[in-house]
Amino acid sequence: MSETVAGGAAVAGERVGPGGVAASPAPEEAAARPADPRPKNNRAWFLVLPVVVSVAFTAVIPLMTVVNFSVQDIFSPSDRIFVGLEWFRSVTRDPEVRSAFVRTLLFSAQVLLIEIPLGVALALAMPKRGLGVPAALVVMALPLLIPWNVVGTIWQIFARGDIGLGGWLINNVLGINFNYTLDRADAWITVLVMDVWHWTPLVALLAYAGLRSIPGPYFQAAQIDGASAWATFRHIQLPRLRGVLTIAILLRFMDSFMIFTEPFVVTGGGPGNATSFLSILLSKIAVGQFDLGPAGAFSLLYFLIVQIACYVFFTVLTRAGR
Amino acid sequence: MQWMVWTLPTALVFAGLAVLLAGMAIWGHLSPPVARRGFLRMETDRGDRLYIGLLTAAAVLALWIAVTDLSMWLALACAVLAALVVLIWG
Repeated sequence: MSETVAGGAAVAGERVGPGGVAASPAPEEAAARPADPRPKNNRAWFLVLPVVVSVAFTAVIPLMTVVNFSVQDIFSPSDRIFVGLEWFRSVTRDPEVRSAFVRTLLFSAQVLLIEIPLGVALALAMPKRGLGVPAALVVMALPLLIPWNVVGTIWQIFARGDIGLGGWLINNVLGINFNYTLDRADAWITVLVMDVWHWTPLVALLAYAGLRSIPGPYFQAAQIDGASAWATFRHIQLPRLRGVLTIAILLRFMDSFMIFTEPFVVTGGGPGNATSFLSILLSKIAVGQFDLGPAGAFSLLYFLIVQIACYVFFTVLTRAGR
Repeated sequence: MQWMVWTLPTALVFAGLAVLLAGMAIWGHLSPPVARRGFLRMETDRGDRLYIGLLTAAAVLALWIAVTDLSMWLALACAVLAALVVLIWG
């Protein structure tokens, strides 16, 4: 109990703190003090220069090159033809790209629909005090610490019907014919369950942190009013989780929309094109077929979507309180 | 620079962007931007609105090329118009 109250006080203090500090003394100071006549020293900006240079070489210049690729048909650096926006037209109308786009959106939607409620449920079920807390936190954090390609390899073996524990159990104990290398639905389910296993803990940990910051008196008031567990969740816990759940939804959307490594390792986009997401299709065009023009146009369109989603993410995060 | 396979149109676009950013920096130095609230219903200064405007323009161009065969000059006009609307009233 003392833990909860202390946590609540800290949260309350935090909320009062910045508002008070920022709002009250600032206008008085501004009124009392004349504008500083000394010239401002902006030389500290030079310290940022190494970052600017490295970002220019690793991101801006390659991106400019991709833009140049996207408007040309390139056979070699000296043998190339300007084609205008033709690649953009062909890429946006390519049925394979469109179906990969729909598939990626569908995957992201399913990821959110499963991981967010499941993460919140896990957070609610996690112990609130005692030795169980660190144990639960460590167990929840484990999948997050495993590198993407290793997660892919684990699931590639785990889901196999012959030598994988999961696949073997489904085939031989449940009696369901499960083969993710041949069946489209099985492949999709394998990739989806793998993502749920890998990333639900992130949602759970965020939700757990959000739940722990709710001051104890809220629950005491609910108890006095005789509120049911559902009413407490619906009217106290869920509204207070709004901030962390926004972060969780946006993080999981971005990540699942750009997913590459795990499905690439497990299914390679197959069988057929069942798990061929945008990133997998793009790498096939760019690296497999070495079609620089279409790959450039595809990359820029993908970049635009991610850029817009990122901006929404950034805006919601930084302006949520205002 | 040979490996960057430059073309005149892309060079002009990037030069235009560079001039735009430099212009915004100078404008910001001469009269610092003021944040305000427009139809986007959040506080933005002119730099924010320029960024949102550019993203909007790019989205208009991408959607246009994906769905219609009408002239891309018309698309450019619509994109510039959308960017201006965001810049002025956003």
